[in-house]
Amino acid sequence: MLQIDRIRPSFFEASTCTHSELWLQRIDVEPGERIQIQAPSGSGKTSLTHFLYGIRKEYIGNIRYDEVDARSMDADAWADLRREKLAVVFQDMRLFAEPTLRTNFEIKRQLTVHHPESVIESWAIRLGIEHRLDTPAKLCSYGEQQRASIIRALLQPFRWLLLDEPFSHLDDANAKKAMDLILEESERQGAAILLSDLEIVPQYPRTRLLRLLA
Amino acid sequence: MKQPSFHIIKPLLLSGERSASRWFSFVGLGIGVLLLLLAQQLFIDIQALVKQTSIRKNGFDYISVTKQITNDNMGRDNRFGPADLDTLRQQPFIQGAAPLISNRFEVVATAGDQIPFASDIFLEALETDFIDTVPPSFNWQPGQPIVPLIFSSDFLEMYNVFAPSYGLPQLSMETASNVIIGLRCEGQKGAQVFRGQIVAFSDRINSLLVPKSFLDWANEALEGLPSANASRVYLKTLDANSPDLLHFLAQKNYRVNKEKTAFGRSKQILQGVVAGLGIFGILVVALALLLFSFYLQLMVARSRDNLQLLLTIGYRPDWLSKQVARRFIPVYFVVVAVALGLTQLLQYLFHQVIMYNRPELSSWLDPSVWITALVLIGLSVTTNWRMVRKLLYGIR
Repeated sequence: MLQIDRIRPSFFEASTCTHSELWLQRIDVEPGERIQIQAPSGSGKTSLTHFLYGIRKEYIGNIRYDEVDARSMDADAWADLRREKLAVVFQDMRLFAEPTLRTNFEIKRQLTVHHPESVIESWAIRLGIEHRLDTPAKLCSYGEQQRASIIRALLQPFRWLLLDEPFSHLDDANAKKAMDLILEESERQGAAILLSDLEIVPQYPRTRLLRLLA
Repeated sequence: MKQPSFHIIKPLLLSGERSASRWFSFVGLGIGVLLLLLAQQLFIDIQALVKQTSIRKNGFDYISVTKQITNDNMGRDNRFGPADLDTLRQQPFIQGAAPLISNRFEVVATAGDQIPFASDIFLEALETDFIDTVPPSFNWQPGQPIVPLIFSSDFLEMYNVFAPSYGLPQLSMETASNVIIGLRCEGQKGAQVFRGQIVAFSDRINSLLVPKSFLDWANEALEGLPSANASRVYLKTLDANSPDLLHFLAQKNYRVNKEKTAFGRSKQILQGVVAGLGIFGILVVALALLLFSFYLQLMVARSRDNLQLLLTIGYRPDWLSKQVARRFIPVYFVVVAVALGLTQLLQYLFHQVIMYNRPELSSWLDPSVWITALVLIGLSVTTNWRMVRKLLYGIR
């Protein structure tokens, strides 16, 4: 289980977090839950994703994965968690710029070989980027890169999926296709989803809504 | 846990691969390793070459002195009396003095039936502390028919020079040790025949040495006289080239056998130079490893973004550092192997061309040099791996 235990960014005053439904609250994320975190600009939405993913630590309070305090984990423990249990789609995509999309996928897939190589092709077709598979990531549009980073996140086993504005560069039709793929794979794995966005995402069948700053 | 192949991420890491600092560091490492291995082999060679002629023992120099024979003192007794010995022992730069006492009866040596040789000889005795090679068998008690002998290796060499002219066989050290020498000792009070056997060869003492107990007994029993004043005295000193000692000996008009002292000194200097070369080699190896660490830092700095992203998507820093470090193992192996090969070639040439007549040397490298080479490979690989690891864990 993922426990977010009364955290707040250390760069926020405690008084500014009093109306938040997440900051300074105790949140237990159950398997299969679909949480939407709705957060206006500057409310710490991306910081939350980074705290949960362990790439920033400027917070007060505790985050626990299966009872293990995130602060106590070393670099190798984080690598194990990210490889086997925790997937992410960053707002800024973070693909390797020079390699092709296919290589980007393979770099992730080969870590666990959770899916066969053929899945790359079929998911790329579903999200409409199959014609870009052999194009270097830096030459792809933001929309294509966003869809690629979604595919990359789903190529691993996971129990928690963090999505930070995953559809910001997609039109509604493409967002719907991506959402379907995300839901299908999350349900198959029984994973919980934490989706953060500026607005409420209509195509996301959330089970819980948390407003970061009310 | 299954791990991906390094192949797919290799292009992400090694940008700046053709960096000059990398090649400089490899060449530097090669030179350093070569110097170090050469110094070690040379040190071993020098040990082997001068082992048999070393005059130093337990950190002391041993030199023999005689009184200078001049036209003025020719007729007098030029032997060292108790008073002379006391004066010598009192000097601060002399740590010990032992007279080389000799036989006062006649001795004729025969080489038995095998070698038709007979000659008047002399026997001498010296405190065992002053002898460079003293085997445990070098002792004698009254009633013992075999007298152990320590033979000067120079005498054996001289014998081998004139032996063919007299129709006598030349002898190796091993054969000479097996020859039983008949010693017929005759004095005023009687005669007795002993069997002498060479138990060791001395490089330092030009004499035919017997145990002091034998000479004391035989002088008394055969001639009725105690062992008396000696014409040669051995001195034990910390430094045979000390100006104080040389000044004192010159003042006393004593003559010093210094040739071997000089040899002992030059061995020390040679070893000093070679040790210096070895230390220089170690420094060059250290510098090369330092340079290589700069190259690694540069490489990690250049691919920092990619490395960071790899860690972000779940690559273990532990695994990554092993993969990066492993890439350099063959290079280190080749560098050290080339240095080892060159050292072997130089040793071969040294033995075959310069020192071709020295059986105590080998054309092949000493096993310890191989061990050093292996240790250096291990050291380079470990240093490299630790450095990569430190850099990667520093990224997060």
